[in-house]
Amino acid sequence: MDISPILNGFSVVLEPANLLYCLAGVIIGMLIGVLPGLGPGATIAILLPITYGIGPVPAIIMLAGIFYGAQYGGTITSVLLRLPGEASSVVTVFDGFALAKQGRAGTALGIAAIGSFIGGTVSIIGLTLLAPVVAGFALDFGPPEYAALGILGVLLISSVGNGNKLKAIIAACVGLLIATVGRDTFTGAERFTFDSLNLAEGIDFIPIAMGLFGLSEILYNLEERHNQVHAPAKVGNVWPSRKDLGQAKGAIGRGSVIGFVLGVLPGGGATLSSLAAYALEKRRAKQPERFGRGAIEGVAAPETANNAAATSSFIPLLTLGIPANATMALMFGALLIQGIQPGPQLVTEHPDVFWGVINSMYIGNILLLIMSIPMVGVFVRILRVRPAILAPITVLITLLGAYTVNNQVYDIFLVIVFGVLGYLMKKLGFEPGPLVLAFVLGPMIENSARQALLIFGGDPTGFITRPISGTVFALIVLVAALPLIRKAVRRKTSADRAEEPVEEKTP
Amino acid sequence: MTILVGYLPTPEGEAAVDAGLREGALRRERVIIVNSPRRGAVVDEHKIDDAASAALLERARAAGVDAEVRQPLHDDDLFQTFEDLVEETGAGLIVIGLRHRSLVGKFILGSEAQRILMEARVPVLSVKAAR
Amino acid sequence: MSMSDPARSPDPLGDVIDADRLQAELEEGRPPHAGPISQITAALVALAVGVFGAIGSYALGLGRLTQPGPGLWPFAISVVIIVLSAVLVVTGRGLEDAERFSKASLLTTVGVVTLVLLAALLPVIGFEIPSLLLVFVWLRWLGKESWRSSIVISVATVAAFYVLFVVLLQIPLPRLI
Repeated sequence: MDISPILNGFSVVLEPANLLYCLAGVIIGMLIGVLPGLGPGATIAILLPITYGIGPVPAIIMLAGIFYGAQYGGTITSVLLRLPGEASSVVTVFDGFALAKQGRAGTALGIAAIGSFIGGTVSIIGLTLLAPVVAGFALDFGPPEYAALGILGVLLISSVGNGNKLKAIIAACVGLLIATVGRDTFTGAERFTFDSLNLAEGIDFIPIAMGLFGLSEILYNLEERHNQVHAPAKVGNVWPSRKDLGQAKGAIGRGSVIGFVLGVLPGGGATLSSLAAYALEKRRAKQPERFGRGAIEGVAAPETANNAAATSSFIPLLTLGIPANATMALMFGALLIQGIQPGPQLVTEHPDVFWGVINSMYIGNILLLIMSIPMVGVFVRILRVRPAILAPITVLITLLGAYTVNNQVYDIFLVIVFGVLGYLMKKLGFEPGPLVLAFVLGPMIENSARQALLIFGGDPTGFITRPISGTVFALIVLVAALPLIRKAVRRKTSADRAEEPVEEKTP
Repeated sequence: MTILVGYLPTPEGEAAVDAGLREGALRRERVIIVNSPRRGAVVDEHKIDDAASAALLERARAAGVDAEVRQPLHDDDLFQTFEDLVEETGAGLIVIGLRHRSLVGKFILGSEAQRILMEARVPVLSVKAAR
Repeated sequence: MSMSDPARSPDPLGDVIDADRLQAELEEGRPPHAGPISQITAALVALAVGVFGAIGSYALGLGRLTQPGPGLWPFAISVVIIVLSAVLVVTGRGLEDAERFSKASLLTTVGVVTLVLLAALLPVIGFEIPSLLLVFVWLRWLGKESWRSSIVISVATVAAFYVLFVVLLQIPLPRLI
């Protein structure tokens, strides 16, 4: 394997400017991971205008730092306050808070930090080895494959996300529709532009992302959700003991693998892997009743897994150009506005971006490990700031930032429109993530599909007869039909179970 | 009748609890320790946890006073919280700890203690932190 | 991938209670569920979007499969939207994932109004005054901060933005000063 581009990537990362952006990213990530309200997706969306001006490598380095930094931050509130900062930190609450109650909050945080670091590093190594292989394999892909993969990606995100699947797919389709606004590349015809000069150019990615992810969350948080106020939590002992580390090392190892594998799957990601890793540890344990009462593996496993997953979720984006989750869709868009088309050619055409980002993750994880343990107290202080004060400041950053992209007030109005749309969607149970992802992938899917049709001479069965795209289409059908299959299976097993006598389970 | 004691985990708060418990013992009245955090933030350094509450109740028991700890949230109007409590419990006395604030400090940050002193309907006993 | 929820694995009650209790606590903070009317309305709106898209794209010309017209792709998507929304209208009545709009939603509406005003006034009188007013309104009325805090923080914020955008980054923003 030719390692010179990898080494080159390190030299890119170690440039002082890039290091600074990496540091900024992980610090911002940790801060918003701690804060309830804004998630990494919303923050990345709001900071997109900044990335516009600084070049692709520092931009993605910083945004990536925010993403995996937020995983660290979410753990802090889970352990100290029994309040998961991120969805992927929910499982950590059980044993983490129990440890905190026993006065061992520092142990929990420490093992979480170490596990996260190891999980992240293992994942990065896997990424380093796997990514060029996948990218090489994908070079055989043609338009039909891309169309199929794009559709599969959109479908998976909608299916595996949080909300109702049907609504998610509808949202995704609306995203595809919005992507058609503007001039059709093939025929030059204007679609849905209503004679507006602005719309003739199509709708820009940045205002949609800022509105649907950033502003919508701010508006959503305005409604008072009567949350409990907590007393300040004490951190106590700071380092886990050697015995703790020994006990946790199996969990860390297994968590890394689980996180790496599940993170690659579109829609899977950090939350699923933390759940899976926790469940596995509990099943393997000789004394499963320790879990929920302060078992060190109960913190080590999910925390390792969620960081590994956050890192490996970059693989589909960097190698195939398919975002695995909504945040990756934002990265996709961020690269696009820099004039870089993500895809298998990324590793050869822009090795500085490819390797620069991957290598920045090593550095970022080291920075997080250094900062997370001693600086927990500092990061928790941010929880004392009332959200009512942060909200208008964030809103102002968002709106003024939107203006700076093109120096147009029109962009601010776009952000507001999509912000209101996103808010309404959230209220009514429609996830905005699939919409943005579909919007980002829409042009690629359409162009690939149309090119494919031209290749096939108008014969759509060509999609299925080609081996790779045929497989992908089979997967698409499978994923689409899965909920129905699952429902049928469930109905049958519950009918079976109702006939058996109920067993008493002894603890 | 009851006595309301405003409590923060500060020297002034401690002094208030001391004075409040003394009054409670003297008058043979119930004491309600009011630890009211500000609504909004996830963490408020003024809120005390369950262990600290239990310790306060223990102090009251040792002093022979019947006490309880309440932690209502307030928005921007701690004074209103006290007013509502006076109304609800028929309290006859409020005890608060006072901290010296400079003119500028009082102007920029406001003084809830001052407002309670000026506008409460029942007598207010103000104490300073133990030297 | 079937993976049993760790809270439901056969285990001491302590764990199960924790997971459920945690879930309940997290739910407490949220407003109550919206009724079937909201669900159906949302589905109907989605349906309308689909119909609108279908009509618009049909007018653009579908072409043939050998020569796709500009409207083919959006038409296909619109049809999917129509079908799925129709299914949603029928099946979505009992869903509980929507939140009710309450008095608190008024706060959000006021917030949106301030945003629109900022966007409208920005090119006319610069960013300083609309920003100041926006932050002040958000602090005082939406955030229930005191008069003093609201004034101080809004002035400080606009000053900081001025220093950051105008002095340090020299980004062109419409401004008064």
